[in-house]
Amino acid sequence: MPLVAAVACPHTPQLLVRPETEDRALVLRVHAAYAQVKRLLTEARPDAICLIAGDHIEGFFLNAVPAFAVYAGAQVSGQFGTYSYTFPVHEPLARGILEQGIEREFDLAYSQDIRLDYAFYVPLHFTMPAPPVPIVPLYVNVYLPPQPTPRRCYAWGRALREILDARPERVALMASGGMSHYPGTDRYASPDFDWDRQLLAALTEGRGVETARLTGEELDKAGNVELRTWITLLGAVGKARAEVVCYEPSWHHGNAVVTWPVAPSGAAR
Amino acid sequence: MTTHYFFPPASAYPLNRCLFLLKSDPAFRARYLVDQEAAMAELGLDDPARSALQAGERDRLIALGAHPYLVFMADLRLNMDRKPAAFEHF
Repeated sequence: MPLVAAVACPHTPQLLVRPETEDRALVLRVHAAYAQVKRLLTEARPDAICLIAGDHIEGFFLNAVPAFAVYAGAQVSGQFGTYSYTFPVHEPLARGILEQGIEREFDLAYSQDIRLDYAFYVPLHFTMPAPPVPIVPLYVNVYLPPQPTPRRCYAWGRALREILDARPERVALMASGGMSHYPGTDRYASPDFDWDRQLLAALTEGRGVETARLTGEELDKAGNVELRTWITLLGAVGKARAEVVCYEPSWHHGNAVVTWPVAPSGAAR
Repeated sequence: MTTHYFFPPASAYPLNRCLFLLKSDPAFRARYLVDQEAAMAELGLDDPARSALQAGERDRLIALGAHPYLVFMADLRLNMDRKPAAFEHF
C-alpha cells in the first residue's frame, strides 16, 4: 500500500512545556501548524503512524547506541515532566519493517522494552488523530557519535518505502526533529536560520536527494544533527515537493512543519 | 573539526550517568534536590565533576567530557522541578 501521508514536525520540549523565555505567540503558531497536520492525518486514515525520531539519550543510554532501531513491542510508554504517555504499537508492521530491513542488509537493532523519548511524544501529543492509531517508533541516532551518515539515512528511507509499499497497511510517515538548534552548547542562542531556509527552498523544489550528499560535520555545524530523521523520510518520498506549513524561528530553534504530497487526501483503499 | 556533539569519553561515564539520571529518573532527581552531595556520592563522581556540577557551569562540565545535550536537559528538568509555576503546560 502506498504511503498515505508524509510529514515532518519539530519536537522541542518548549512547545509542550513553555518556560517564560519562550514567545507564547510563536508557540501557538506552531501549534496551529500541528493542527493542520492532525487534520491531514485524520483525512489520510492511516492504519499506523511510522514515526522516525532520534532518541535524546532516554531509551538508549551508553548501554547501547544503535544507529538505526525499530521498537517492536506491543505498546510503548514514556514520561516527560508531568506527562505520562502510552501508545499501542502496530506490532506486525514493526516486525515486518525489522525483518525486511535486515533482508535488505540494514543491520537494525530492535527493542521491546524502552522508555519512549519526548521526540516521539511531542508531535504525537499535538497531531494524533481521534481515535488514536497505533505507531511504529523508528529510531535514527542523532546525538551520540558516531551517528549514521546522511547517505545511509537516505538509503534506509528508500528501503523503508519499498518495505511499506509492499505491506497491506495504510501508513503515515512522520519525521520528528529540527531544524537548526544547538542544545547545551555555546551556539544555543545562534541557530543557523539561513541554512534552514536554503534547505527548505530545495525541498520545495523536490531536491531532497541533495541531503544525502551532506556530511555529518556539515549537519553538526548547522545545528541540524536531527535532520537525519528528515533525510530518512526524504529517502522515502523521493522527488515529492515539500509544502512548508510553517517555519517559525525562535531565539534558539528553527521550528518547521512540512508535508509532502505522497497521496491524495482521503484516498480510498 | 570538533563537533558540538562529540563522542563521550569513557572517563566521563560517571558524570554522564549522573546527568542522565537527573534528566530521566525522577527519584534520583528528587534525592539530588534534597542532598546534592549524597546523590553525587552514590555515583562515585570525582572532585572535578562534583565541583563543576555544583557550580552548574556548562563549559566546565563539557570540558570534563559531559555530553552537551545531557547538560542542557538535566538543567531544564531540574528547573521544571524547582519552579513548576514558571512553565505553561499544553
